[in-house]
Amino acid sequence: MRFVDEFRDAALGRAVAAEILSLLEPERRYKVMEVCGGHTHSIYKYGVDDLLPANVELVHGPGCPVCVIPMGRVDDGIVVAREEGVIFTCFGDMMRVPGSEGSLLEAKAAGADVRMVYSPLDALRIARQNPDREVVFFAIGFETTAPSTALTLKRAKAENVTNFSCMCSHVTIVPPLRALLESPDLRLDGFIGPGHVATVVGARPFEFIPADYGKPVVVAGFEPLDILQSIAMILQQLEDGRCEVENQYKRVVPYEGNLRALEVMGEVFELRPHFEWRGLGFISQSGLKLGEAYAEFDAELRFRVPGVRVADPKACQCGEVLKGVIKPWECKVFGTACTPERPIGTCMVSSEGACAAYYNFGRFAREREVV
Amino acid sequence: MTIVRLGGDHELALCADADGVRQTVEVGLLDDPTEGAAVLVHAGVAIAALDQHGASR
Repeated sequence: MRFVDEFRDAALGRAVAAEILSLLEPERRYKVMEVCGGHTHSIYKYGVDDLLPANVELVHGPGCPVCVIPMGRVDDGIVVAREEGVIFTCFGDMMRVPGSEGSLLEAKAAGADVRMVYSPLDALRIARQNPDREVVFFAIGFETTAPSTALTLKRAKAENVTNFSCMCSHVTIVPPLRALLESPDLRLDGFIGPGHVATVVGARPFEFIPADYGKPVVVAGFEPLDILQSIAMILQQLEDGRCEVENQYKRVVPYEGNLRALEVMGEVFELRPHFEWRGLGFISQSGLKLGEAYAEFDAELRFRVPGVRVADPKACQCGEVLKGVIKPWECKVFGTACTPERPIGTCMVSSEGACAAYYNFGRFAREREVV
Repeated sequence: MTIVRLGGDHELALCADADGVRQTVEVGLLDDPTEGAAVLVHAGVAIAALDQHGASR
C-alpha cells in the first residue's frame, strides 16, 4: 500500500535502530515523550521500543483525545442523553468512558438513545432524518478532529438544521504541553511531535518548546520507520547541540499547517478561559467552545448541563500515566481491576490510550538493562 | 484513502481505502483536490493530501 508499506520495512528499521545506537552517549539516559496517543499505539503494536537501546525511554504524553476527558464531562453528556426526545451521538470509544455513575454505553442500555457515529457529519445526517428529535453530537478531540466539527456546524447553519447541536469538548495541544514542561516531576530530552495535529496547526506552534524550554521537537508520522527516524533526529539534534522543530512527516504536514482548516476553526470556535483535563486539572485557554455566531448550536446552552467536577476513582492513576510520571503497569489496578473490557480509567478505554496499548500488546512489566 | 470521484462543488468526494471500501468524504479543506490523490481522512474530513515527494525524502 502506497505511503504505508515503505514505512514498515524491517531492514530499514534495523538500520535506523543502529543509527540511534551510534548517536547515544553510553552512560546517559534519554527520555523522549511521544505526545500523541496514535504514536503510543504504533510503538507497541509494531514493537518499536524493542528496537531501542535500554537507555532510551519513551514517555507517553497527553495526546489521546478520549483519555483526557474528565469524569464530570461524561456525566454531563449522560444527563443530556437522558433528556426526553434526544438522540445523543458520539465516537465509539467515547461511549465506553466511565463517568461517576456509568458510561454512555450503560446509559444506552438503560434506555437512552445513544448512537455511535464515525463523523459529526453522520450526526448531522441523523438530525436531518429525525426532524422531530433533538440530535446532539458530543465533540471531542484535538485540532485534528475540530475542523470536522466546524465544517459540520457550518453545514448545519447553511441548511438551517435547527434540531442539531454540539456539546463541544474539543481541546488544544499546546497548553497541556506547556503545563507538562512546567512540571517539576518530569525531565525530558525531547518530543516526538503529534503528526496529525500538526497536519492542521503546522509545526510552528511547537517552536516554543525549543525556544522557551530548550528541548528538540520532531513532528513525526505514525508508521514504525517514522517513529524510529524521529527518535534518531532528536538524538542527532542533541549530539549536534542543536535544539529546533524539525518535520519528519513532510509527506503530510506542511510547516504552516492547513490554513483553510484553521480559518474554519477560527470562524466557529473560541477559546474557553479554562478547561478541565483528566489528570492535569484545569488548564487555561486549552479548550474550545462554540463562538457567538454558532451559539444557537451549543448544546450546553440548549440543555441544562450540571457541569459538576467529579474526582477520579482513588485507585485510578490515569493522571500520572497521562503526565508520563508512571508507566501503565505501575498503576495499582492495571490489568487486574482495570482492563479494556472493564476500564476504570480512560487510558484503558481508547486504543490510543497508553494503558490499552500496554495491555493489548502484552507489556505487563518492563525491566531493561542499560547498554 | 484515495479520491475516486469528486463532487461537482469540490466539497464532497467519494474515496476508497486500501481494501476498496468506499466512503463519502468532505474535501473542502484541501487546496486542490484531484481524483487519484491520496488523502488523510479524519472523522469524515480530508485534512491533508499526501505528498509523494515528501514521502520519498
